Amino acid sequence: MHPVLPWLGGIAVLSFLPLITRTAYDQYLLNVIAINVVLAVGLNIVKGFAGQVTVGHVAVMAIGAYASAVFSVHLGLPFWLALPAAMAVCAGVGLLVGIPALRLEGAYLALATLGLAESVRIVISGTEWLGAAMGFEGIPPPHIGGFVMETHFRYYFVVMPIAVMGIYISFAILRSDMGRAFKAIREDQLAAAASGVHVAKFKLIAFVLSALYAGCAGSLKAHMAPGYLNPNDYSLQEMVTLLLMVIFGGIGHIWGAVIGAIAVTIINDLTQDYYTYRMAIFGGVIVLTVMYMPRGIGGMIEDFWVRKRFAALRAATKARQAAP
Amino acid sequence: MNLLEIKGLSKRFGGFRALSGIDLNVRQGAVHGIIGPNGSGKSTLFNMISGVYLPEPGSQIVFNGTDITGKPSHEIARLGVARTFQMLRIFEGMSVIENMMVGHHGLTGYSPLAAVFGVKSVRSEERRVRAEMMELLNFIGLADYAEMPAGEMSGGQRRLLALGRAMAAKPKLLMLDEPGAGLSPTNVDILLDTVRALQQRFGLTVIIIEHILKLVMDTCETVSVLEHGEKIAEGTPAEISADHRVIEAYLGREMKDEEVRDFLRSA
Repeated sequence: MHPVLPWLGGIAVLSFLPLITRTAYDQYLLNVIAINVVLAVGLNIVKGFAGQVTVGHVAVMAIGAYASAVFSVHLGLPFWLALPAAMAVCAGVGLLVGIPALRLEGAYLALATLGLAESVRIVISGTEWLGAAMGFEGIPPPHIGGFVMETHFRYYFVVMPIAVMGIYISFAILRSDMGRAFKAIREDQLAAAASGVHVAKFKLIAFVLSALYAGCAGSLKAHMAPGYLNPNDYSLQEMVTLLLMVIFGGIGHIWGAVIGAIAVTIINDLTQDYYTYRMAIFGGVIVLTVMYMPRGIGGMIEDFWVRKRFAALRAATKARQAAP
Repeated sequence: MNLLEIKGLSKRFGGFRALSGIDLNVRQGAVHGIIGPNGSGKSTLFNMISGVYLPEPGSQIVFNGTDITGKPSHEIARLGVARTFQMLRIFEGMSVIENMMVGHHGLTGYSPLAAVFGVKSVRSEERRVRAEMMELLNFIGLADYAEMPAGEMSGGQRRLLALGRAMAAKPKLLMLDEPGAGLSPTNVDILLDTVRALQQRFGLTVIIIEHILKLVMDTCETVSVLEHGEKIAEGTPAEISADHRVIEAYLGREMKDEEVRDFLRSA
């Protein structure tokens, strides 16, 4: 059986999801969740697997969104071409963001990417042909012939399959030799290199892959009704929300990132009215998660599973060691 | 025939000369020991051979006929040089079998794109790698722990895993950095038996850095002695045992021949 088949089954099952939603708003929320899943799963590749601390991810998403908007509005490209073109632009950006990662580690890399994130937002806010602070309007929805996906219901059948395939690709990559190389870099670069892993190359690949996901998410966001982008949607607050998804879900766990994206998007929506306190709450949850549940929900589930599986083995080893 | 030929290898860190003009030849198939007091440059030597540090001009390292001076770590590894680390540096957040599979990275042949498209050959290659690594784990006695996170292993098991990961690359040259450190005498014996078994089975050349003199004297055919970044002696264990400079390097004073023999017998 080809490994993609179960995922196609997943798409088929999820196709029924909009039927149980009552309002167009619920359908909108489903689409936002799907887009955030793409974003979080992508961030997980560079942060969770390759272990590179980047906080510039929203900037890459912004570049993807605006590139896609420019391609379709100014160049007249249809969505189906604007999406891959925007992703290609983001791959280039990912490569640029990755270069400092070859020299910087941890907090220093975070600072460098933070600088990038803010400067992108500020540049967009001041650029007339990108709509400046007023925002970019009139981005057309995707269409196949005369069938236009302008409603959230129809758009769901664009974003949901892409999100599911995004998860599949992430699994395929991370369970491959390359995924193991990423994790080895995260664990110990010196030992990874001594095992024959080309550390610099794989770091850059991780950044590029992750940027491809961010570009895809950005483009999906741009073409979703009402086809409007605002630079303030790519601020540090959004980055905190995105980090929360990955950290709460469990760094280095693909399903963790998916669960985190779903949970945080819904919580984010339910707490709309408490906007002023939300960032404080999110920040607090990140700190508490890092302190008491450093590997997130995904890590907790894995720990439980591992403990159960190896309890017997460990007991046997101990008994053998205790025996004279 | 020499598998490794080092000429005039030097390294300084700031004002400190870690290695000054070391010449070292390691014969194909040999088990070569390197001893010396703390700070004598043993680990620096390994780090230079494996490409962690850049050598200074005038240094030359030739491995298996290829000049590897100044090449990056991963390329040297792929040419067939594997090593362990004093601090082990196993991938604690990965399972035991994954650690082994990273070790086999240079010999795993498929593109990531093929993995995305779920090509059949990728799955058969993954099966091959997994099966080979299981066989190796079996050989070093860790097969039961294949799926266990490496971070959960005991000290002795970690040392074995570090050895296994190095072996996973099917190296021509295996460099062990203090393999016996922190092990009980029983575990040292287990480890040594494993190294010997691996060496015979795979026709390896092995370089061992060690503090435990007995381990070196029992295992190695040739021993080089470093002190203050210089090679002060080289020869068979018997010759080294008779060398007064070696004893001085370790004990810091002159000893009579009988004393030397007693010391080495007790070590």
